[in-house]
Amino acid sequence: MADVQSQRAFQKQEGIFQNSKKLLAKKTSKGVRYWKEVGLGFKVPKEAIEGHYIDKKCPFTGNVSVRGAILKGIVISTKMTRTIIIRRDYLHYVAKYNRYEKRHRNVPVHISPAFGPVKEGDIVVCGQCRPLSKTVRFNVLKVIPNEIIGNVRKQFVLF
Amino acid sequence: MGISRDSRHKRRLTGGRMPIHKKKRAFEKGRQAAMTKLISGEKRVRRIRVRGGNFKFRALRLSEGNFSWGSQGVAKKAKIVEVVYHPSNNELVRTKTLTRGVIVQVDATPFKLWYAKKYNVELGPKKKDKKDAPAEQTQKSKSLQKKLEQRVKDNQFSNQRLLVRITSRPGQSGRADGYILEGKELEFYVKKIESKKK
Repeated sequence: MADVQSQRAFQKQEGIFQNSKKLLAKKTSKGVRYWKEVGLGFKVPKEAIEGHYIDKKCPFTGNVSVRGAILKGIVISTKMTRTIIIRRDYLHYVAKYNRYEKRHRNVPVHISPAFGPVKEGDIVVCGQCRPLSKTVRFNVLKVIPNEIIGNVRKQFVLF
Repeated sequence: MGISRDSRHKRRLTGGRMPIHKKKRAFEKGRQAAMTKLISGEKRVRRIRVRGGNFKFRALRLSEGNFSWGSQGVAKKAKIVEVVYHPSNNELVRTKTLTRGVIVQVDATPFKLWYAKKYNVELGPKKKDKKDAPAEQTQKSKSLQKKLEQRVKDNQFSNQRLLVRITSRPGQSGRADGYILEGKELEFYVKKIESKKK
């Protein structure tokens, strides 16, 4: 719990008033936690409701709404804090030869601490939200664990 | 001035450069930062006409603000005494710059007066020579006494200063308003200030 406040400013959920007289009076208060459903049938992870992390970009406990496109991709990189890179494969039709060619796009996606550690090769469902950073416009809604043999970046997985 | 807020000067996600095929536009321009200073007794606010014909109030010097005491639900105008902590930059503390998010010390008297009026209780350091005070107090039930004790748990009122976090943006609205720190947040910032002093 102590590592929630690892920044120089006090981390807290934006709209929640933590110092009402009732809460201040309680000696060991659990505190009030704000969480919301994202809609579209996605379940809110238990960690989002019971956890103590603060993430303003989390779709369940932060200030982002999920609307627009829903994408599925395979995780190829988890090295950034709270964000991952997924790979989306697709086939492009070339009319002259009546055939298809393989193409792919890498999408950076914000991942909330509500989801446990995500490995490379996992499949992830993400929803579109407003721009969260220079390149991130999507937020992870569901993680489907998956085992991949070989290098993740060399796989072609069509959804 | 030269400050422009475009994204054309940045590189792409892939690392490639973006070709610059147009000049800087007026709708992308930025202005110099306000760097509002805390100077006791002075208030200097300039009105700036911005895009769309609207106005921003650039505070250059401030000394007062409207601060809210959350758990009691009141807000009072009070003087800002000193800048004590800034989470982004220690330089701003040294130069006494007021921005959003800075922790300042504020004069406690307006809040003490309000509390005294409302609850008939003097906040602050206990005075020894009040012999007639116990006789005046009405009979209070145990639960009421407990409630009164718990009303002001943090002993910020022992000094004449309260710790406040500024939540308005002085360079945009021309005001330095905020809320009095309480509970866990207060502990957090007090610890940060103490560790900085060392």
